[in-house]
Amino acid sequence: MAEATGNSEGPKLATDAHVKYVLSLDTKTDELDYWMTEHLRLNGAYWGLSALHFLSRPEALPRKDTIDFVLSCQHENGGFGAAPGHDAHLLSTVSAVQILAMVDGFDELEARGKGKAVVGKFLADLQNPESGSFFGDEWGEEDTRFLYAALNALSLLGLLSLVDVDKAVAHVVSCTNFDGGYGAKPGAESHAAQVFTCVAALAIAGRLDLVEHEKLGRWLSERQLPGGGLNGRPEKQEDVCYSWWVLSSLAIIDRVHWIEKQALINFILNCQDPDNGGFSDRPGNMVDVWHTCFGAAGLSLLGYPGMEPVDPRYCMPKKIVARVLGE
Amino acid sequence: MASHGVTRTVRTRTEEQRLQDLEKIKKYRHLEIQIRTQVATGTYTLDLFELTTKLLRQNPEYYTIWNIRRRCLISCRLSGAADQTASAAQDGTSDTKNQDSDSQVLQSEIAFTMPLLLEFPKCYWIWNFRQWLLAQAIQRLPLPVARKIWETELGLVSKMLNKDQRNYHAWGYRRLVVVQLESSELDGKSMAEDEFAYTTKMIRQSLSNFSAWHNRSQLIPKVLEQRGADDKARAAFLGEELDLVRDALNVGPEDQSLWYYHQFLVSQIVGDGNKPSITPALTVDEKITYLKHEIDEIKDLLEDYDNIKWIYEALSEYTVALERLQRTDSNGAEAGDLQVFLSKLRTLDPMRTGRWNDVEQLAS
Repeated sequence: MAEATGNSEGPKLATDAHVKYVLSLDTKTDELDYWMTEHLRLNGAYWGLSALHFLSRPEALPRKDTIDFVLSCQHENGGFGAAPGHDAHLLSTVSAVQILAMVDGFDELEARGKGKAVVGKFLADLQNPESGSFFGDEWGEEDTRFLYAALNALSLLGLLSLVDVDKAVAHVVSCTNFDGGYGAKPGAESHAAQVFTCVAALAIAGRLDLVEHEKLGRWLSERQLPGGGLNGRPEKQEDVCYSWWVLSSLAIIDRVHWIEKQALINFILNCQDPDNGGFSDRPGNMVDVWHTCFGAAGLSLLGYPGMEPVDPRYCMPKKIVARVLGE
Repeated sequence: MASHGVTRTVRTRTEEQRLQDLEKIKKYRHLEIQIRTQVATGTYTLDLFELTTKLLRQNPEYYTIWNIRRRCLISCRLSGAADQTASAAQDGTSDTKNQDSDSQVLQSEIAFTMPLLLEFPKCYWIWNFRQWLLAQAIQRLPLPVARKIWETELGLVSKMLNKDQRNYHAWGYRRLVVVQLESSELDGKSMAEDEFAYTTKMIRQSLSNFSAWHNRSQLIPKVLEQRGADDKARAAFLGEELDLVRDALNVGPEDQSLWYYHQFLVSQIVGDGNKPSITPALTVDEKITYLKHEIDEIKDLLEDYDNIKWIYEALSEYTVALERLQRTDSNGAEAGDLQVFLSKLRTLDPMRTGRWNDVEQLAS
């Protein structure tokens, strides 16, 4: 395999345009969509900030503003809502923790926020003591996404000991299917995004020995379609975000060489809007910050030159995860 | 924030359109602020409830508003605490009245989410809210009424799956509804046979529906157990399933869904780690016989289709599995076959060359 680069014939990464696109997101207050998507604001901040990191422009967003916004979303119980005035939810809480980790802002969480311990308690209280799985909030939706998200944030906070990790691990194992993949719940069909959450959760828990590497690698590698992109389930279309879920899972189980890297690089690059920045799900579609994050993360993992290396377990810069975990 | 399948267009707004947008934002924000102001007072009133209706019709992704709606329902639309209703169920007319009104409220809530679900079939929050309503029905309503509501829900899921046969939410929700309908809470009994028949129906509509094949694989152990199937019946069942999927492969050898289901059946023959198999009594010799037969049947496909990688992939996988069962080393007759399959795979599927290399290395 040739060194992973933008094929000299093919498209190039439009770094400046992407940075400009991410920075423009918070200025579109005269568009209805800006207000209609407020329930994803904190997640959006994580997607945008991590994209900037992967593009090697981590300083592009002002650190203080970022921390101020994150802390403005926190509730008394330690959990974070998607924006001020939105209810606390596990998903936005994890985004808050990831952002604070990226801007090295845990001190500010202690000084001006409710502190790490309260956040840890909020997350730990969402574990279902019977199944080991996690709820998204007080209303009780359960899904392996939440389990992964909780382990992700708790490990970054250094508070994994607050939850029953063994029970969480056993729950993940109960979601394994005959094809080596994982579903959202026991008995659910294998799905690339759920595979990522389960495999990354096991990686964080230090239990990759429980993953059936050969079988799972087989299923994951079959997700690559002739156009180079990856799909999320058999007989579905390829998509930049699924490309990340599959690729990161392959990386965690050390099987990235089971797909064609250059073809995937080209697919992702073909999904960028080279003029106005941002990535879309498939070539020629509307860009958004979600696909921009996972497009950039994918290119980073594939070794595209000039990018900040990504940790496949956390979808955050490797060096930041290493600093926070003390690895 | 995450758009899928929307064509990229250059959006330019005229000043007039921009002003129209600003007007829409003003109205939306006004509604949102009204809600927040009321929530801040800590009272969840009928008025607030009506406001959530307005907002959710515009934006069903706004999860906090669904939560506010739940709080309104609990404090001003549904009767007192759920456990009180249940414990005093045999008592007087006021409970009957409460149950009637709870039933009406829950049914009208279910109806409220219906058009939203049809418009936004992948919105988690709508599914969650419905699930909450249905759980309330069990807690608050007489059993036959609650059961009827859950049965209607199963009908809805079928409708959703007719529109989008692979909808991941809908399949997950279907399993959840079935578990509840089977439970003693709803005086239920196993629906494994019906659900198994449903997967047959869905597969007949589209052989590529892996979600249906998957659900079938989940149901088989239950069906066999309930039929009281002995080893012979289990073997016969396995044979029928193998025939079913092989017939499908004969006309659609490029369909991954079929290959995955075939792989599932083979995993039942050779054993899948510590997991229980649908044919637990097979001896090693029987397993070998089955596997050799499958390999031969798949080789027959090559007569009609010699350029389809899936065939070679299955052959190489099953050959490796056969070697393991026979405990033969790589000098056996199968090893030569494996080389042929892998070299075909390298030509037909060069994207996964790294994998074919690893398979070869592992086998030698």
